[in-house]
Amino acid sequence: MPEIMSPRPSEDAGVDPVTARVRDARAGLAALIDEAEAARRHRAEGTPEDGSAVCAWNHFENIPTFYNWNNRPR
Amino acid sequence: MAEGWSGMRGITAVPTYVVMQPTTLCNLDCAYCYLPFRSDDRRMPVEVAEAVAASVDAYARTGRFSVVWHGGEPLAAGREHLAALFAPFGAGVEHHVQTNATLIDDAWCEFFIEHQVRVSVSVDGPEPRNGDRVTRGGRPAYDRIVRGIDALRRHDIPFSALCVVGDPRPGLAAELYAYFLDLGCEVLGINVEELEGVNLRANRHTAADVTAFWSELVAAWRMDPRIHLREVEWSLRYAGAVLDGTADDVLPRQLDPIPTVAQDGSVVLLSPELAGFHDRRYGDFTSGNVLTTPLSEILAGAAATPWIAEFLRGVESCRETCPYFGFCGGAHAANRYFEHGRFDVTETDHCRNSKIRLLEGVLDHARDHEPTAV
Repeated sequence: MPEIMSPRPSEDAGVDPVTARVRDARAGLAALIDEAEAARRHRAEGTPEDGSAVCAWNHFENIPTFYNWNNRPR
Repeated sequence: MAEGWSGMRGITAVPTYVVMQPTTLCNLDCAYCYLPFRSDDRRMPVEVAEAVAASVDAYARTGRFSVVWHGGEPLAAGREHLAALFAPFGAGVEHHVQTNATLIDDAWCEFFIEHQVRVSVSVDGPEPRNGDRVTRGGRPAYDRIVRGIDALRRHDIPFSALCVVGDPRPGLAAELYAYFLDLGCEVLGINVEELEGVNLRANRHTAADVTAFWSELVAAWRMDPRIHLREVEWSLRYAGAVLDGTADDVLPRQLDPIPTVAQDGSVVLLSPELAGFHDRRYGDFTSGNVLTTPLSEILAGAAATPWIAEFLRGVESCRETCPYFGFCGGAHAANRYFEHGRFDVTETDHCRNSKIRLLEGVLDHARDHEPTAV
């Protein structure tokens, strides 16, 4: 699928094209998301006090060592 | 939804971290580095750290707060000076270093343990992929990088890694992921090389190649997801929120100002890559100096800096025009400036390489790997 370089109406009225594309991939994404969640539990990312390089998932956007996603430095 | 995203409106006055430059010096001379002055050893006076600590210790009392020691190469400042710069900060402040690893030895590992420093190393994959990472004499730095990482492993110090990819394309991602699994990093971030700062190399790539690179990375990660892979984690977090109907909650409500405090105390907000540059229209991009104005006061007046006001208009343009805004949050300031010469433009090559094609690659993988019905 080519990149969606400008907003345009999707077949699903009122839904932007990126959202529609995500929804179209729901079945594959659901399995992937489940696996990612299991991997996070296996990595024990819920314990930010353990000194690990990995911070808690719920702190993900606050991981400061250049792992922030939005408006991050590189 | 493109016009309806509610996150990233304005800049918060309370950052979650501050980037500090203990020295401008770097002992390496990587071909893609954006930093000016990296051949000079201009060290941060302790007074600058004291001034920053006076503001940020209050942030650390109410939430998690970190200082990221960047550079130049932060370890080039030396242990004694770095310890003196750490000293003004309260115990609640986390310290992080982003290092090229070449100076790490047993003594540095003991320093990291003593000061509870979180370590992230910069390495671009197997030795042949590190051709851009060279010493000041132009010799390959890879052996030194690996020696430093070996020291971390010897001391059981967990570490993250950042990998710069200059030519994202199919066939490379699986090789890189296998390398970082073997390296033993806990977290990995992939930075597609950017045109910014003093790095003027073009970063325009074929869309299909970049999308296939990301798709292949997802496939490699999925086979052994031991590493917290920044790009995959964020993409799946967004995709999951879209499917749950909570996508508008993903972006932070406001932009983090990410204050970068240069060695002389000057403060550049939002994009550290702008530090040290001057433009006829925008001046030197600084919003103040902590030696004369408290950091909290500088942050409170952030939007008054002319280029930042223009940047905020650019974020609103992204919100209005880009269907990826809910995933991305708007093009980064440095990419807008160094690619287009101003801040109120929207899409950049960095957007295309590292946001749009990333999400498309993840979605391609998901589309092509639907569970088989039984």
